[in-house]
Amino acid sequence: MRKTAALPVAMVATVALLAACSGGGDTTSSAEPTSGDGAGAGTSLTVWVDENREPAVAAAAEAFEESTGVTVELVQKNFEDIRADFLAQVPTGEGPDITVGAHDWLGSLIVNGVVDSIDLADVEDDFEPVAVEAFTYDGQLYGLPYALESIALVRNTALAPDPAPATFDEMVAAGRAAGTKLPFVINTNGTTGDGYNYYPLQTSFGAPVFVQEEDGSYTNEIGMGGEAGHAFATWLGQNGMAGTGVFSTDWTDEIARQEFADGNAPFAITGPWAITGFEEAGVDFAVEPIPSAGGQTAAPFVGVQGFFLSAQSDNALLAQDFLVNYLSTPEAQRALHDADPRVPALLQVAEDVSSDPVVGGFVAQVKNGTPMPSIPEMADVWDHWNAAEAAIISGSADPVAAWDKMLADIQASIGG
Amino acid sequence: MATTTTRPTTTDRPRVRRGRWFAEVGWKYPVAAVVIVYAAFPLVYVLSAAVARTGTLTGSTELFRTFSTANFEALNASRFWTWGVNSLVVGGATAIGSVLMGAAAAYAFSRFSFRGRRGGLTALLIIQMFPQMLAFVSIFLLLLALGDVVPALGLNSTVALICVYLGGALGTNTFLMYGFFNTVPRELDEAARIDGATHAQIYWTIILRLVTPILAVVGLLSFIATFGEFILARVILTSPERWTLAVGMYGWVSQELNANWGLFAAGAVVAALPVLLLFLALQKYIVGGLTAGSVKG
Amino acid sequence: MSTQATHAPAATGTGAPEPHARRWDGRGGGFLVKLALMALVNAVGVSVLWAAYAQGSWAIFAASLVLLVTADWVYVSRRALPLKYVLPGLAFLLVFQLFSMAYTGYVALTNYGTGHNATKEQAVDALLIQAERRVADSPSYPLTVVQRGDEVGFAIVDEGDVRVGSAEEPLADVPDASVDGRRVTAVPGWDVVPYTALISDTALQQRVVDLRVPVSDDADDGSIRTREGSTGQVYSSALVHDEAADTLTNTETGAVYRATDEGRFVSADGEALAVGWRVNVGLENFTRAFSDDTYSGPLLRITVWTFGFAIATVATSFLLGLVLALVFDDPRLRGRRVMRTLFILPYAFPAFLSALLWRGMLNANPDYGIVNQLFFLGTRIAWLDDPVLAKLAIIGVNLWLSFPYWFLVCTGALQSLPGDVMEAARIDGAGRWRTFRSITMPLLLVSTTPLLIASFAFNFNNFTLVYMLTGGGPRFTDTSATLGHTDILISMIYQLSGVAGGRADYGLASALSIVVFVIIGTISALAFRRTRRLEEVL
Repeated sequence: MRKTAALPVAMVATVALLAACSGGGDTTSSAEPTSGDGAGAGTSLTVWVDENREPAVAAAAEAFEESTGVTVELVQKNFEDIRADFLAQVPTGEGPDITVGAHDWLGSLIVNGVVDSIDLADVEDDFEPVAVEAFTYDGQLYGLPYALESIALVRNTALAPDPAPATFDEMVAAGRAAGTKLPFVINTNGTTGDGYNYYPLQTSFGAPVFVQEEDGSYTNEIGMGGEAGHAFATWLGQNGMAGTGVFSTDWTDEIARQEFADGNAPFAITGPWAITGFEEAGVDFAVEPIPSAGGQTAAPFVGVQGFFLSAQSDNALLAQDFLVNYLSTPEAQRALHDADPRVPALLQVAEDVSSDPVVGGFVAQVKNGTPMPSIPEMADVWDHWNAAEAAIISGSADPVAAWDKMLADIQASIGG
Repeated sequence: MATTTTRPTTTDRPRVRRGRWFAEVGWKYPVAAVVIVYAAFPLVYVLSAAVARTGTLTGSTELFRTFSTANFEALNASRFWTWGVNSLVVGGATAIGSVLMGAAAAYAFSRFSFRGRRGGLTALLIIQMFPQMLAFVSIFLLLLALGDVVPALGLNSTVALICVYLGGALGTNTFLMYGFFNTVPRELDEAARIDGATHAQIYWTIILRLVTPILAVVGLLSFIATFGEFILARVILTSPERWTLAVGMYGWVSQELNANWGLFAAGAVVAALPVLLLFLALQKYIVGGLTAGSVKG
Repeated sequence: MSTQATHAPAATGTGAPEPHARRWDGRGGGFLVKLALMALVNAVGVSVLWAAYAQGSWAIFAASLVLLVTADWVYVSRRALPLKYVLPGLAFLLVFQLFSMAYTGYVALTNYGTGHNATKEQAVDALLIQAERRVADSPSYPLTVVQRGDEVGFAIVDEGDVRVGSAEEPLADVPDASVDGRRVTAVPGWDVVPYTALISDTALQQRVVDLRVPVSDDADDGSIRTREGSTGQVYSSALVHDEAADTLTNTETGAVYRATDEGRFVSADGEALAVGWRVNVGLENFTRAFSDDTYSGPLLRITVWTFGFAIATVATSFLLGLVLALVFDDPRLRGRRVMRTLFILPYAFPAFLSALLWRGMLNANPDYGIVNQLFFLGTRIAWLDDPVLAKLAIIGVNLWLSFPYWFLVCTGALQSLPGDVMEAARIDGAGRWRTFRSITMPLLLVSTTPLLIASFAFNFNNFTLVYMLTGGGPRFTDTSATLGHTDILISMIYQLSGVAGGRADYGLASALSIVVFVIIGTISALAFRRTRRLEEVL
């Protein structure tokens, strides 16, 4: 069928092709190692950034490139992918020098040894203390903060004209008086439950998720047990679907936003991410601190966004320089705020933008908040916590028993 | 075509004929309507979100409350079209490669008896079942190493992504085709072989033509699968200009609270069109054999 | 082309084999194409070999050498006929798919995961970074990098005085140095390194970042370091690394942490430092997989449900797809191309979008959930909050997602049924149902059974659907595990190993997925053996 001539012919052709290819192959390999000869040329910083923030970081990068000659390469990533990719890629040496991130990743970045500490030196005092505290782990600073966010109470000023009710009960009463379909909405994340959104109500009973030290840092001791926790669980059950029906597991984030935007509920507990939608729907609203349900201050979780420095960066010097001297300037921080309007971490910028009533409302709420725990133990809490709250709200479980089981389960997975 | 042959007879006894027409053919129309409603009604939500001004997907049961083309216009301001072209390139290349490699392997498994044939088939089947939980790490490491040697196969390369997809092509597609190759009678190749045809000629000129429908099905399936894949693509493609539609659009909604469902829905509607058009075009090959056969009958 | 497709089998059946009509001229243009392709493959292969050799990437060199030699042998030799057809796909499969599997196997033998994420060196780096603290209330000095031969040092400005030191020499006053504002411009005996020179030299940068200049002879006073090259701060480290002894010593408490086989630094009283590294742990992950009793309770229920889910999904979607393919495989129907196109709509949208859509549509409250509003007269049905309903819901949604696949496959399969057999049956007067049952169905099963098995395996691992639709819920109420009634084995692995929650234990996850793979692989292989009987029908 086939002649053995195939072999020599193929070989000849190979050699001919090889001769053609080898030239190209050589040029690619020799082009690589020659490093820069001008100032900073040849060195480059890689920065991971998400789509929203890219233009703001690009502006700061341009200034940095101009004054140092170093190239800043911005790699756009989905915010949700960054943590896992950073953990996986930094040890290979291929990770970025700097990445955008959220402060609650810190615990896992620390125990995985992928993040370098930074020193804001003289500019540290220019930042909102809660933001710096959030990026501080065991007394050491690990990131440059730029924005804070928390949930707050949003009130439809047409349906509920009176400002800021002092207690949750008064708020519900005002909501019912408005005669709308619902007095109030909150994101319960459907039947999954959502400890994050209900947290300010929980803290108003004096039941923080973990016990905090004097300086605000978290210990790994669970703080939501005892009478305060039971009181909250009982209250949640009473106002759940088997009780007064103020809370419901039918609500997801989308439903809660839609009901408020449609004017079906005069009050909502939600975050800055919902604001654009409300404005587009033409609702007149005000942002106010969340009223207390249990007598103490309702303190929501504060999430802080910022930039981390890789522990394996080859250009640690430049990366620090870029972070401390170019991204922490008021101009850069203002640009970051404009790109994604949250509460600015730099006090000067926060002051500038607080005149906006919406941002001002969130600024006021953030001052009442506590940073979301960044300790690795927090990862063991969410599932149990969300599920217990969902079961209590839907009325499918006895509040105190479900709460106690949740505490035991969390304790077991933390490994007490 | 078929209706023209039945029409003359219908004039004889219209009522009986019509009753029979309904029993044989007519009832299929209402059934089709039901199936179409079943297949399409959840997607009405997508369409509703695409033309709405609010950015939510399932926030309300009232559909089409607002109408605006803003989301579609916003697609132009994004990299949507670049991603679309990338997706077409990656999807097209993967589909063609999968068809060629899968068909060749299926031919070998179907036509040659060799040691390890059965074992090889079983292995192919089983390899697909491996949970690819760590694929995102392992593929990254592999391309990192490959990229040092062959830059074209490194990270952020479209070629590398296609190769990774082709790596998964053999398992699924060989199986799809293997069964169909078996339904082609062996007497055909034997006759050709006696006449002096080489195995390659039998493959390219006899077998492949007889299995055109399944080649089209495999091409379509792997195009769709590639079009929607984003887990590996987002690890491999690092710069947004190279992203595929699935990666880019996933980014719009990956942040739960900032999800831009309106834009995503508009994108999904547009992105579904090439898939549907491709199917519409390929139907000729998928169902072509039947039409020809029935004319003859 | 398509005409030939249906004619040919009929022709052979009647004993007038059409292929005889054609003249086969042996080798021809095809041979040249093959030669060109071979040359191309060799050219690419040899240049990859060359590049790998130049880079010293021996693993890649060896792998490409084996592939290239195999390819040459296969396409030149006459004996490797089947391999000629299998090799292209096989090469890709081996490189990309098997590497992933091998990597998973390797990880299963390590403790890779949170806290054991990198190499030992990197772990030490990270621990030293974390232990080095700025001395409280210490000032920040203007700093200039200086060089003396190969030695690097710092010159700082301390209240107008210039002080210079290096790693060996603590800071000392240099009275005759010149200063320009915050920068030192000249130091006798040292060359001042301009900032521009510093940032263009990566190696020097690294040395500067690593340099610690003692403030005084007393180590407790701390040392000067710079982070960005223009200011210096006083730091002291609580940990000292002794490379020779492989220990880290806490200078404040005196505790000595030794490197252990578990990939951690542990002190005598059992306290471990936060950052560990990846080590080989042998089969420990496998023994852990079988001995964790938190999960042994739900394990049986989840296994049963996983099988139930995968079987029910394959059965329902195959049947629906098949029935639709049969019903609409009718030339008398007008507009069937459009109908068919609309049938595959669910397949044309991203699956995770569909799962989220259905999650919203299945909301218990008929005000929000359109399924209850439209089809259940506005009754409140908690689809996702009741164990039985949630299972029905997930199978129903998966039916919607996957019937177009089977519709496509069956439509294609029906076309390649041998026309002569079907015709013969029709002529014999076999009824439609009988033709279907005794001819169409068996022939169809020959081509689709392997796919049924593959689809079973796919759904066995269908994490996306479970994760997006129910998240595994509703939760079991009688166990501490964060598992629920709709969790399948793969989603259980995610939960159990913390991959879903952010405290990943990839070692355990890999070991578990290998265990699951062995189970499902064995079952599928056994099922596949049975298909041989089907094949023999032909």
